[in-house]
Amino acid sequence: MNVQSANAALVFGDVVKVFNPQSPQARAIFDLTMVVIVVMVVIFAVVVGIVMYALLGFPRWREGERDPEQGEGNKTLEIVWTAIPLAIVTILFVLSARTMGISDPPPPPKPDIVVIGHQWWWEARYTNSGAVVANEIHIPVGKPVALRLDAVDVLHEFWVPELGRKITTVPGHPNHLWIQSDKPATYLGFCTEFCGTQHAWMHFLLVAQPQAEFEKWQLAQLAPGPAPSSENAQKGLALFEQMSCVNCHTIKGTSASAQIGPDLTHFASRKQLGAGIAANTPENLRRWLRDPQQVKVGAKMPNFKFTDEQVTQLADYIETLK
Amino acid sequence: MTTQQFLTSAWTWNPAVLVFSGVALAAYAWAFGVNRRIVFLIAGLGVFVLTLVSPLNALAEGYLFSAHMLQHILLLLIVPALLLMSLPRCISLGSRSSLLANPLVGWFAGVGAMWLWHARPLCNAAVSSQFVNVLQISSLLLLGGIFWRQILAPREEERISPAGAVLYLFSACMACSVLGIVITFSPVSVCSIYAQPPADYLGILNLIQSDWGITPDKDQQIGGLLMWVPMCLVYLSGIIAQLARWFAHPVATAPVTDKAL
Amino acid sequence: MNGNTSITATVAHLLTPAERQHWKLAWLSTVDHKRIGILYMLTGLVFFVIAGIEALLIRLQLMVPNNTLLGPDTYNWMFTMHGTTMIFLVAMPVLFGIMNYILPLQIGARDMAFPRLNALGVWLVPFGGILLHFSFLAGGPPAVGWFAYTPLSETPYSSQLGVDYWAISLFVLGIGSVSAGINFIVTVLTQRAPGMTLRRLPLFTWMIFCNSFLVILALPILNAGLAMLLIDRLLQGQIFLPFGGGSAILWQHIFWAFGHPEVYIVAIPAFAILSEVIPVFSRKPIFGHEFVAASTVIIVFLSLLVWAHHMFTVGLGHTIDLFFVAASVLIAVPTGVKLFNWSATMVGGRVRFTTPMLFCVTALLQFLIGGLTGVSHAVAPLDWQTKNSYYLVAHFHNIFVGLIVFAILGAIYYWFPKMSGRMMSERIGKWVFWLMTIGFNLTFMIQHVLGLAGMPRRTFTYPDLPGWTWMNMVSTIGAFFMTAASILFVWDLVISFFRGKPAGDNPWNAWTLEWATTSPPPHENFDALPPIHSRRPLWDYANPDRPDPVVPVGGAIDTFRPDKIKAGVITFIISEAGFFGVLILAYLLYNATAQSGPGAQQLDVLKTTIFSVCLFASSFTIWRSEVGLRANKQGKMKAWLLATIVLGGVFIVGQGLEYWSLFQSGVTVGLDLFATTFFTLTGFHGLHVCFGLLALLVVLGVALTGYSKNGHLPALGAVGYYWHFVDVVWVFVFSIVYLWPLLR
Repeated sequence: MNVQSANAALVFGDVVKVFNPQSPQARAIFDLTMVVIVVMVVIFAVVVGIVMYALLGFPRWREGERDPEQGEGNKTLEIVWTAIPLAIVTILFVLSARTMGISDPPPPPKPDIVVIGHQWWWEARYTNSGAVVANEIHIPVGKPVALRLDAVDVLHEFWVPELGRKITTVPGHPNHLWIQSDKPATYLGFCTEFCGTQHAWMHFLLVAQPQAEFEKWQLAQLAPGPAPSSENAQKGLALFEQMSCVNCHTIKGTSASAQIGPDLTHFASRKQLGAGIAANTPENLRRWLRDPQQVKVGAKMPNFKFTDEQVTQLADYIETLK
Repeated sequence: MTTQQFLTSAWTWNPAVLVFSGVALAAYAWAFGVNRRIVFLIAGLGVFVLTLVSPLNALAEGYLFSAHMLQHILLLLIVPALLLMSLPRCISLGSRSSLLANPLVGWFAGVGAMWLWHARPLCNAAVSSQFVNVLQISSLLLLGGIFWRQILAPREEERISPAGAVLYLFSACMACSVLGIVITFSPVSVCSIYAQPPADYLGILNLIQSDWGITPDKDQQIGGLLMWVPMCLVYLSGIIAQLARWFAHPVATAPVTDKAL
Repeated sequence: MNGNTSITATVAHLLTPAERQHWKLAWLSTVDHKRIGILYMLTGLVFFVIAGIEALLIRLQLMVPNNTLLGPDTYNWMFTMHGTTMIFLVAMPVLFGIMNYILPLQIGARDMAFPRLNALGVWLVPFGGILLHFSFLAGGPPAVGWFAYTPLSETPYSSQLGVDYWAISLFVLGIGSVSAGINFIVTVLTQRAPGMTLRRLPLFTWMIFCNSFLVILALPILNAGLAMLLIDRLLQGQIFLPFGGGSAILWQHIFWAFGHPEVYIVAIPAFAILSEVIPVFSRKPIFGHEFVAASTVIIVFLSLLVWAHHMFTVGLGHTIDLFFVAASVLIAVPTGVKLFNWSATMVGGRVRFTTPMLFCVTALLQFLIGGLTGVSHAVAPLDWQTKNSYYLVAHFHNIFVGLIVFAILGAIYYWFPKMSGRMMSERIGKWVFWLMTIGFNLTFMIQHVLGLAGMPRRTFTYPDLPGWTWMNMVSTIGAFFMTAASILFVWDLVISFFRGKPAGDNPWNAWTLEWATTSPPPHENFDALPPIHSRRPLWDYANPDRPDPVVPVGGAIDTFRPDKIKAGVITFIISEAGFFGVLILAYLLYNATAQSGPGAQQLDVLKTTIFSVCLFASSFTIWRSEVGLRANKQGKMKAWLLATIVLGGVFIVGQGLEYWSLFQSGVTVGLDLFATTFFTLTGFHGLHVCFGLLALLVVLGVALTGYSKNGHLPALGAVGYYWHFVDVVWVFVFSIVYLWPLLR
């Protein structure tokens, strides 16, 4: 393969994510997709061929001309074009059954991560270590990771196109999913079930890292939030603890331990803010604190009408939460 | 035990079934001679024997509700239909006005057999008691015969009209679907005897639950789905045959009346 | 009609001279199937404009990433209203309008079986539509998508009135559709011209006949679901609320048990149009008539069996998924049979590329694409990837627009001459066709790729990811082409109505009976009918040298012609059975295991048994009343009728007392799942008993006026059937709710 076409393939894979499978589960689906596409193309060609032949292969109608021979039908043909599709769909059924087993194996007794859909962000709880994160899920490369999916309000749906099937998170009906990435990469995941006002901004990042890096990341996530060093940041923490922030958020190592909104203990280590609506930059964080409704209309965090000074103090503190 | 061992060893050579089939075959040959239609009889008896002596029967005996359901469908829908089709076309099954020839009776026989035998006490009794089991098998064959008689009676004039038959089968499918839906999604066990692990006399419990992955919950789901989807597809085949009969074989000789059915 | 007819005469032609004096009233109070058909279509056109503008706003918002033209809530309103309106207020009314106009003509009837019911049906459409759109003034329309998944559509997550208006509106529209479905079935069964046996029905009529069964079976399922949703929302029930013990998934089952057949309810009429138009413009009869006809029955049957394929990603488990993969891929077979037969019809014909033909052939090809992507959704693992992405959006728009809208446009170009007496412009028509075809494919083909690129549906905006921006731009540009096509089409309609070339009786040299009368047909439809020996009476008439083979009359079923009123009531009962079936299943699901708290043990079985015996006895009394009528014994008839009313009244009073004592002991609708499902089930039954009582009182009133003197009171038989049905429902409800817990 020359460089140019490799480049083209890369771009194609970048765009058409479903055709760029990165896990055994997704690859099983991809293989079946190719079979189905071939079947679809062949059937399409046959029918279009018949139609074209009918439209172009015979003289056009002319005014006043006697109508052509009035055919009736042909039983043999009917049987043929009933039997062939029947055979095709039977094969598709068998292939589906096989692929379902490979791409979605039965769950283990205990999941590795519990993923919880909220209006409009994702929470992930690592069952072995106890780490709790939001909107950015890390997994070790090359290892199947078992997820259990829950929801606390309405239906959401968990989908990473490169990694395989999507599955709904249903309140009161836990679902299971195996997820795996064969190479280190950061994938963009989506909520695909309409879940209300900000359904569009319920993205998440799925970060696949080598085992050692993953372990390191997990340890870091388990640590309590670093104590504020600068004076401004100290004021920010004090503000955080005395305002209603503590009613929704957790920052480990402080008095904030509510579980309604995202866990902020290591907020500053995340790449995105507001489930994908903006990059996690100091500027965007200040915008968010000034008025979350301006950044993400309908988000469950109200506008607290902080003064500019308070915004700076809070932002200075939160930015230290690496 | 592996699947293969199970499939080769779990045959229950029930002499009554074999004798009955042999006698039926002989009686048919004696009464009607060997004709083309004997193929249907052989097929029907073949399904009958396979249903009751093959590993399917072993599974149905306390292990799997779904196997029991499959037996149920075969005995109610497949075997009687094939047996009726084997009869020579000149045989009359009684006049149109008799009770058994009433489509409503036929419909309730077919649908009722499904609903009745899945009432929990009856369903359990059919597994635990040999007598009830025999009663169940013979009643399924009989009721299935009454159900199909409306459509597959040898004489054309003893059958209901094709369009009527389409509605007959369609509504039967709906009635069985409802039961299938109830069984599939029911949070409680329909046939509680299958919910407890059986006295594992064949030593295949492990094979079923871990190799095949059929837990009691799933087992009931499969049973309900079998009644819901494949059973309806049997009815659908019947509907296709009826449509073919209606469109393809005009009965020009039948009297034309403007009266309702 | 000759070429000299003036414009005014054309307009006037739709009305009689007397009606011209008060033309508004003539249209508003009409019970003529032709005018009702036109009203249906015009209503549909109005809503098409509204939903089209919504679609355009959606595409404008998505034209560029991070767009702020519409806010998230506004966008969510738009796609909810667009979907709901297009399906319930555009596709269904327009298709019902075409059926209403054409079906009676095709079977040589004078009108529909129940003209007044027909008028009720058509007026329920604007009523339902206004209810739905009134939500704009009442705090905002629904923002839950056209399938309103719970729990999002429940009060805690959608506290505005939008969802209530949505549910009530759909309920009303559902009643209208069922009434139309009943009317079509009974019309085909009872109003056929002499010689028009069931096997000689033209394919269009045959398919509408089959389709109407789907209408009466599917819509009550939705109505039962909507009733439960409203009980949740308005009476604090918890049927679909997981945190109160209900099931969010149950709503999906109910909705799709309706929703999948619904797709076929609008697709089968499109199939019917294709089956009518393609042969006429190929100058050949349809290839394999019997196979096309039979495949319709099979599609109707299978479409009721496959709904769970809309729920492959919900996590029902592989066992359930697999069975539904099997059933779903099977539908491809009868559908394929149709496609092959339409194609084969054109082979060896002399194809006329008129506008209707162009639309129908394109509909065939677009449907081929939509059908094939449909198979890819039936294969569960592929659906796991592509569900809820733009791939799905592209798939169903290929069905809804590619097949259905194209078929509708073809049908209007085909039948407009019959309805107005004037031809539509072929020149403008071709423009409409090309703009529509190019626009449609620009808009939706690219969305397949967009979906595979990962774009989820129903997002009000999206980040600038590789490829997404230009694909969305292409899609929006396509939408403008479709807008242009739509505007041009409406222009063509208007201008052709006034200035079109006169059409004559049979401009296309077609073969079915609607072309055997004038254009537009007179009020009574036909002066005289040609003899009917085959499916193409006009072909036989025009080609005496080579007529179609006679379709023989075989057996009583071909000439089956039941009593009109009884047939109507029986079809109505079938649809009601579906409604109660859903309520009973919901009750069973939630009460299969004994719950803590108030439950069935709270019920006073003995008292209810007494009331129930009264209700069951009333079945006997109404039967005696009918016997009395048949024997023409007026006194007996009235006495037994009165007894029935008294017994029914006792039952209702008994039920009222039971409710009262339950309320007294604190068991209210919203208390727990038992209470909610109990009151829903018995309450709706009670409501039906009340309706039955009203009907009985009316019948009694009619009987007392002496109308029934000659032993003729058809309403009694009809109400009798209904009354027996209500009793039979109570046999089930009573056994399940009251007796079954005793056995446990």
